[in-house]
Amino acid sequence: MTDGRAFGPGTQRYLDGEPSPALGSGAEPSPGERAAADRLIALARAYAEGLEPVSAAMDEAVMAAVRRRGAVPADRGAWRWFVRAHRVSVRPVWMAALAAAAALVVWLAPRRPATGTRAELVVAAASAADTVFVRFELVAPAARSVAVAGSFNGWRPDALPMVRGAAGIWSVTVPLPIGEHRYEFVVDQTRWVTDPTAHAQVDDGFGGRNSVIIVGPKGLVRS
Amino acid sequence: MNGRRMRALVLAVLAAVPAALAAQEGAGAGNVAVRLSARGLPGDLVQRVQRIATDAAAHGVPAEPIADKAIEGWAKHVPAARIVAALRAFADRMTEAGAAVRSGGLARAPGSVIAAAAEAMGGGLKPDEVSSVVRAAPTAEEVAPGLSVAASLTAQGLASRQAVTIVVDAMVHKRPMSQLLDLPSVARSMHDQGMSPGEIGEKLLPHHGDHGPGGEHHGDRNDRPPGPDHPASPVHP
Repeated sequence: MTDGRAFGPGTQRYLDGEPSPALGSGAEPSPGERAAADRLIALARAYAEGLEPVSAAMDEAVMAAVRRRGAVPADRGAWRWFVRAHRVSVRPVWMAALAAAAALVVWLAPRRPATGTRAELVVAAASAADTVFVRFELVAPAARSVAVAGSFNGWRPDALPMVRGAAGIWSVTVPLPIGEHRYEFVVDQTRWVTDPTAHAQVDDGFGGRNSVIIVGPKGLVRS
Repeated sequence: MNGRRMRALVLAVLAAVPAALAAQEGAGAGNVAVRLSARGLPGDLVQRVQRIATDAAAHGVPAEPIADKAIEGWAKHVPAARIVAALRAFADRMTEAGAAVRSGGLARAPGSVIAAAAEAMGGGLKPDEVSSVVRAAPTAEEVAPGLSVAASLTAQGLASRQAVTIVVDAMVHKRPMSQLLDLPSVARSMHDQGMSPGEIGEKLLPHHGDHGPGGEHHGDRNDRPPGPDHPASPVHP
């Protein structure tokens, strides 16, 4: 077969049976190319006329071979069930029930509540069944360091350092178990300060106060 | 096995039980010393705290909350003498709290429940109010959260009786734990909106509660006080 790159675009269109370009457009095939193309077309017709149609027996034999090759081995019953086509009939009422169940799953899926504003205790999102991420914030522009210490970290004043953000807002996010927690902020490693936005302030038994938060499973809101 | 041997066996078992419990309590007190030493408390303070914990354990009071309190005081640089005094008061309160919890129907309460009851009593709940919450809790696991919520509402300015009534009602009506634990947040939000503690309590009281906290009033007022006659006692495991 002639290499198509030997012909110009006009000749290729001629071979493809497209309408001839307008005369004088410069895209029409040259007389030599046109003659070569005519020879190719004549040869192709002669070849096609020499072809015999595939017999029905041959067709059946080929399809049988294809079916054998594509058949699933008999010992893979479960796999065969999966790959085989099945006819499924569903009642509309079950479709509605399935849709409702899917909507329920989406609705119950954990989602991230809105974040809080400054000086708020924010519970962000549930990470596990019994743990909720709680964001502690304290506005302390003059502080050199702030940490949160409480019943959830053995009252270690250096375990949960907070990060200073814009406008002197210190914050840290901590995963806390559901339930009651008592805590205070430790400013500059020496000063213990209650959280003005906590659920409550209670006597700590030593003459000071503790802040109290109650973390609920549904993500809570703010203190 | 004849009757005499059976009686001897029963007596031996009965004698062994207190010994085993005492051994467990001793082990708890031993853990207290280990924990306090690990946190850098001086030896003499560790010994004094351990004595308090051992004495408390003999009265059925858990040792761990006492250790936690000692660690809290030490972390806050509270003088040792003041820590010891605070721990004695806390242990006494836990003894009282344990009695209130038992009075509510929970014979063998976990340490966390007794500690929660003691903290609640420290926050203003009376022993009979603690008993009411214990009695109303559908399961033993819900006692400590219920007490914490009641104490938190009290700390927010609600009368303890009112706070307990709110919690008891939520439990009796089998409201989900999430709704119960949400009450302090709801109360705080109401406070931020400018409501007084009295108004918050009224809003959260059971007669508003048919549609959850803050719901509209659609029923008869139900401000029966919490007490021994209210509500029916659930059976705790």
